[in-house]
Amino acid sequence: MAAPGMVHWVRIWSSCLKNVQRQGSGRVVCASRVSYSSSSDTGEGGFPKMQFADEKVQDILTQITGLDLQKVFRPVKEELKPPAYKLMTDAQLQEANSRAVEEARRRLKMTPVLPERKPIQDILAHDKVLAGMETAKYVFTDITFETPHRQRFVVVREPDGCLRKASWEERDRMIQVYFPKHGRKITPPPIFQEANLKNVYRQDQHEALLDLCLAQFEPDSAEYKKVHRLTYEDIEKQGKYNLLRSTRHFGGMAWHLVMSRNVDGLLVDMLQRDLVHDAVSLVSLFNLVHPQSESAEEARKLNAKGLDLLKVYAKEESQRAGYIELALQAHQRTF
Amino acid sequence: MAAPGARLALCVLARVRPFSSRLAERAQGIPVWPWSRPQCPLLQLGRPSCSAASRSEKTSGDGAAEQSSRYKDQPWNYLESEEYKERYGSRPVWSDYRRNHKGGIPPQKTRKTCIRGDKISGNPCPVCRDANIIVHYQNVKLLEQFVDPYSGELYDATRTGVCMKQQKQLKQAIDSARDHGLLPFQVPLVDFSGEDYSNSHDAVGCTPPCPSMAPEEPWYPWYEAKPDEHEVAKVKKIYKAFLKQ
Repeated sequence: MAAPGMVHWVRIWSSCLKNVQRQGSGRVVCASRVSYSSSSDTGEGGFPKMQFADEKVQDILTQITGLDLQKVFRPVKEELKPPAYKLMTDAQLQEANSRAVEEARRRLKMTPVLPERKPIQDILAHDKVLAGMETAKYVFTDITFETPHRQRFVVVREPDGCLRKASWEERDRMIQVYFPKHGRKITPPPIFQEANLKNVYRQDQHEALLDLCLAQFEPDSAEYKKVHRLTYEDIEKQGKYNLLRSTRHFGGMAWHLVMSRNVDGLLVDMLQRDLVHDAVSLVSLFNLVHPQSESAEEARKLNAKGLDLLKVYAKEESQRAGYIELALQAHQRTF
Repeated sequence: MAAPGARLALCVLARVRPFSSRLAERAQGIPVWPWSRPQCPLLQLGRPSCSAASRSEKTSGDGAAEQSSRYKDQPWNYLESEEYKERYGSRPVWSDYRRNHKGGIPPQKTRKTCIRGDKISGNPCPVCRDANIIVHYQNVKLLEQFVDPYSGELYDATRTGVCMKQQKQLKQAIDSARDHGLLPFQVPLVDFSGEDYSNSHDAVGCTPPCPSMAPEEPWYPWYEAKPDEHEVAKVKKIYKAFLKQ
């Protein structure tokens, strides 16, 4: 399970292991996993490999997400109350507006995009004396209040006497039993099965579905990634990009499209809505993430900026070049 | 379906007749029931008991042989049919229902159930009175009629008039429909900022096996120890009655 080219020293402080011996050089004991805020490695050709959490990427994604206060604070279906009216001076109104903008920025903070978690397959002990004594598995969970959930020990004693660490699904279930999180169920609801996902897509409820997925699953779990991938694919197929615009999921969607090189639909949609700055930022993000692609190399050669970037992209990389050029011409005619 | 329709209409008309006229009927030897069971003059002849009347009222009117509705397998088809449009139009199914109770303020709970075994109560609730209305999680159009479009909540039973059993079934069906993505749902805001997703801790990371131990060695030294057979026989003799063999 070694990460390529990484050798680590790991010192084990465990009470059950009495004779801890420090090994010599070069023994790969346990490679550390990629953490959320990792530094970028060098990709191909000496260009830095961009990760989701990089500042440049996050800036571009926040910019193209937009900030529509009317959409962020739209009325939701909840218990009806009589409306409250306030009389304000101009200064108070401005202050309330700025507070609303801050709150909107907090709500639009992007959902994390993490690499998929590796399954846990560690056996701590194999006590053959206990084999056949019980008919059911026993799960032991550490319920100390202050430990973070990712440092909590959850172990399972099998009927054959094997003491192993619980798998990710078992961990999530037990932690939800003892430390219930609002909005999360112990067993995932049937809405995340593929047949029911289609019903949700038919009703244009992508944003609510992604919110539910975020509440139910951990961001690095396989089901979370699968639901998000299917939702983004459906949006891209139907062209319903505006559903997620000005929500916290837009950044993740744009990142997914850029990584899978499917940016044409989103570009055309932005140009149709006259968001030329956003289109330019999207193409520059594409060039950052795929520095070896033809459009990136052309752009570097010509030192293209602004609308020229779009033209270069349309010529080199895009499948719907005609659409993009038409939209660009239409935009230039109006201005 | 004209005859049952006419029967039903007559029953509806008969329902509003005052008790005194029914007492007068009793004098003539016609049975009068204290609860407001429809007493249609047409039904009086040749009707042995009221339970038979109630059974035929509940079935879709094609005779006692067909006890269940035609729409049992696909209850959502009923809401597209002509019968439904004729009976309800575009209004919800509970719009023309009125509860019967003493005084101006209705009881805070509707009745527990309209149908007990074979017997059906008088003035059954909007769901129980029509055999074709089946509460099912895929019957989205019916479920939407019982949900407030502004707050997303199920209407109270005192508002729609349904019995408590049907109210519970409606609640379960609506939750099930939301779980299957057929009805719109609301999700609470999740704040995940400040959480650390690095999986480097031993609890979730890999723990290497103890390096000092040879693979053939047992975990504990007493694993290899054999029990004294004399002692085992003594203990077995004491607990002979409890041993499984």
